[in-house]
Amino acid sequence: VHQQLAWYVGGPVLGLCVVALRWLLNERLGATGAWSNAVEKLSSPGVRLDTRGWLLIGLLLGGIVFGIFGSGLDGYGWLTETFTGGARWVVVPVLVVAGALIGYGAKVAGGCTSGNGLSGNAVLSPASLVATATFFGTAIAVSFAIEALT
Amino acid sequence: VRRLAALAVGFVFGLTLSWSGMTDPDVLRDGLLFKDFYLFGFFLSALVTAFVGLRLLKVLRARAVLTGEPVSWTAVAPERRHVVGSLLFGTGWAVADACPGPIAAQLGQGVFWSVATAAGLVFGVWLFLRRAGTVAA
Repeated sequence: VHQQLAWYVGGPVLGLCVVALRWLLNERLGATGAWSNAVEKLSSPGVRLDTRGWLLIGLLLGGIVFGIFGSGLDGYGWLTETFTGGARWVVVPVLVVAGALIGYGAKVAGGCTSGNGLSGNAVLSPASLVATATFFGTAIAVSFAIEALT
Repeated sequence: VRRLAALAVGFVFGLTLSWSGMTDPDVLRDGLLFKDFYLFGFFLSALVTAFVGLRLLKVLRARAVLTGEPVSWTAVAPERRHVVGSLLFGTGWAVADACPGPIAAQLGQGVFWSVATAAGLVFGVWLFLRRAGTVAA
């Protein structure tokens, strides 16, 4: 990463996004809800994109702008380092399954890193504190397990 | 205007996630392996900022600028689903080294592999909505 923002700059800006959405619209910022609105829209033609769906479009646009000015990725982390050559295709099904766990799990838990981790914890919602402790603990354990196996 | 406001917040969110390297699987992974403080510094400073900002809105009895309603939220009591869902989510997060916000930003950046993660994410969300009866088959 060549142009990484210092964490003490990026973090507060991210926190202000949570405050801004609350102050402007009295809504909880959450990326899972944003995806969910888009999926609802795609599955049932009657549903309109609401503010959640527009938040998703904003996220995509933010990525596009960074993609133009920022540095791209070289490979994809431990996955492309582990599955090389003829085994490279394995990365795709692994990511699809991981993505499905992320989407389904976040919906069951009522939020992801932004919805529960930031927005929910910032208002000290007990469910979000439990969810965040669980997913951080799980992710750390799984990361160390992957590290041990690869 | 409301949608534009959400779009603007999403844009800043997506740009900041990208610029902070949250869309780079190595940054995520090094954070989760405690090799690099960045992830936790980033997350905790975001959380503290959001906490202070939302407290201020509450103390000032702010009204939402675009809707006029008083700013308010409700606390949710923990249930089994919060633990079960987060176990699944945390596993997927550690394998893909990306969560829903960064996955959207990765797609925008044109990261090839994120198409697979996003496809899985959409399927997972759809499966939940289908089982909950929100969307038809």
